[in-house]
Amino acid sequence: MEYKYKTVMVVDDNQIDLYIAEMVMATTKFAEKVICIGSAKEALDYLKPLNDRPDELPHLIFLDINMPEMTGFDFLNEYKNLPENIRKKCIIMMLTTSLDESDRKQAEENVFVKRFLNKPLDRDKIAQLL
Amino acid sequence: MHDAYLDQVKQKSDKLMNYFLISFFMCGLLLAFFYDTWLVGIGIGSLALIAYYTTRRLLPNSDTYQYIVSLVFGIFMAQYIYQMHGLFEMHFIAFIGSAILITYQNWKLQIPLALLVIVHHATFGYLQYIGYDKVYFTQLDYMTLQTFTIHGILATIVFFICGLWAWRLKKFSETQIEQTYEMGRFQEEQLQRKALLQSNEELRKSNKELDRFVYSVSHDLRAPLSSMLGVVGLCEMGNMEPFIEKNVSLLKSSIKKLDGFIMDILDYSRNSRTEINRQEIHFDDLLTDICNNLKFMCTEEQRKVAVRTKIQNGIAFYSDRSRLSIILNNLISNSIRYQNPEAADPFVEIYVEISASSAEIRIRDNGIGIDKENHEKVFNMFYRVSTKSVGSGLGLYIVKETVEKLHGVIDLESVPGKGTAFSIHLPNLAS
Repeated sequence: MEYKYKTVMVVDDNQIDLYIAEMVMATTKFAEKVICIGSAKEALDYLKPLNDRPDELPHLIFLDINMPEMTGFDFLNEYKNLPENIRKKCIIMMLTTSLDESDRKQAEENVFVKRFLNKPLDRDKIAQLL
Repeated sequence: MHDAYLDQVKQKSDKLMNYFLISFFMCGLLLAFFYDTWLVGIGIGSLALIAYYTTRRLLPNSDTYQYIVSLVFGIFMAQYIYQMHGLFEMHFIAFIGSAILITYQNWKLQIPLALLVIVHHATFGYLQYIGYDKVYFTQLDYMTLQTFTIHGILATIVFFICGLWAWRLKKFSETQIEQTYEMGRFQEEQLQRKALLQSNEELRKSNKELDRFVYSVSHDLRAPLSSMLGVVGLCEMGNMEPFIEKNVSLLKSSIKKLDGFIMDILDYSRNSRTEINRQEIHFDDLLTDICNNLKFMCTEEQRKVAVRTKIQNGIAFYSDRSRLSIILNNLISNSIRYQNPEAADPFVEIYVEISASSAEIRIRDNGIGIDKENHEKVFNMFYRVSTKSVGSGLGLYIVKETVEKLHGVIDLESVPGKGTAFSIHLPNLAS
């Protein structure tokens, strides 16, 4: 069976959630390579140099909202300043525990965000994305 | 306020009257030396004082005694004129009396004095004119009509002016008091407004803080739970021994219960704190969303419950969507959770009828039902009907609170073994 996506990035400060996402994506053959990143800042640092190597860019970025130092929304603010090459290739999905209406609204209003998903990531939610 | 001021004026003036009246009396005694008029000086003077003080004592709340004092001044004038055998200057006593009376700020007090002066002058002037003995009005041998007329006009002017001043004084003090009162009220209002604004601001701030707090706590509590659910999901994806599988599923239902409990508390705090967010309600969409969210609930240990909806549309209905969602979500999930295992076809029926003024929502199921004695109690906080109840005991309490927040009414009909029906009346917040 083919993998749906070649590279997917998951940004979350919670190690267990990273592990879950990685496992679910591997088992469901959703992504061949899952890049697990523990903070929004590291994610930006990871993406920036890939301007020259677009092949290595992730197709999807799963982004947590509630993170220390730099939240998911802070990440989105920085993200819009990245070169267009990067922005064009990546699709962002919010993956959060938040049930807050304003969070959902804010995410849906952001042009870079394609979906708003509630944790935990499981087989059913992955199936919906396919 | 005004009355209090007038009272003060009255008291001060009354006090002054004591001094004036005693002076008048003493003056009468002094004058008695000239023509030996002791009887008149003591007799008339003391009679006048007795008349005055008796009235004042007997009718302290009426202003009759003030009119008496006006008369008394006239009487003293007449007495002095007599005592001084018509000394013309004694006529000025009437003017002194008239001036003193201004203190009461009542122009009408001039009237008794003026009347008495007129009667006195007319009577005594006439008596002297016809040559009646022992009447002293003037030392002039003959008083011309011209003199008498000028005398009268001047006296009238004095009485008039004194009356006018009294009236003006009263008007002036009235406006003064009103202005002071207005000013005080304005200042008080300003202070109250300031205090209100301040407490409003504080309230807003603490509400905002509470909002942040609830948000963080709910996130911090739910984040590990969702991690746990995720790990349980990973386990379910692999092959498990039946024993492990059973335990994992128990773990899962515990986690979901705890998560449901947190979400209930979140709903409750959100309902009680936030303002009503008015928007048009599309019941079809709303119910579809709710049923989609509840779908996974049926697939587990319970049978699927048929959800039937009947919505009478046509009129736009306005209310708060997220609150309505809380209400319907809780009631429908209760119908699913407390289905009757003996019923052949478990169902929940949602009937919505919208009018210009309200929406009538009826949620009927054929579940296990609720005993009559518990009908009131099920809406209480943390009340659970039986040990079999799986919820937090908050669901129906939140439903009731939320309905009330939307200015609605909720009623319950239920027969154990037959089913339950909730009727909700919600006002249409169209305008």
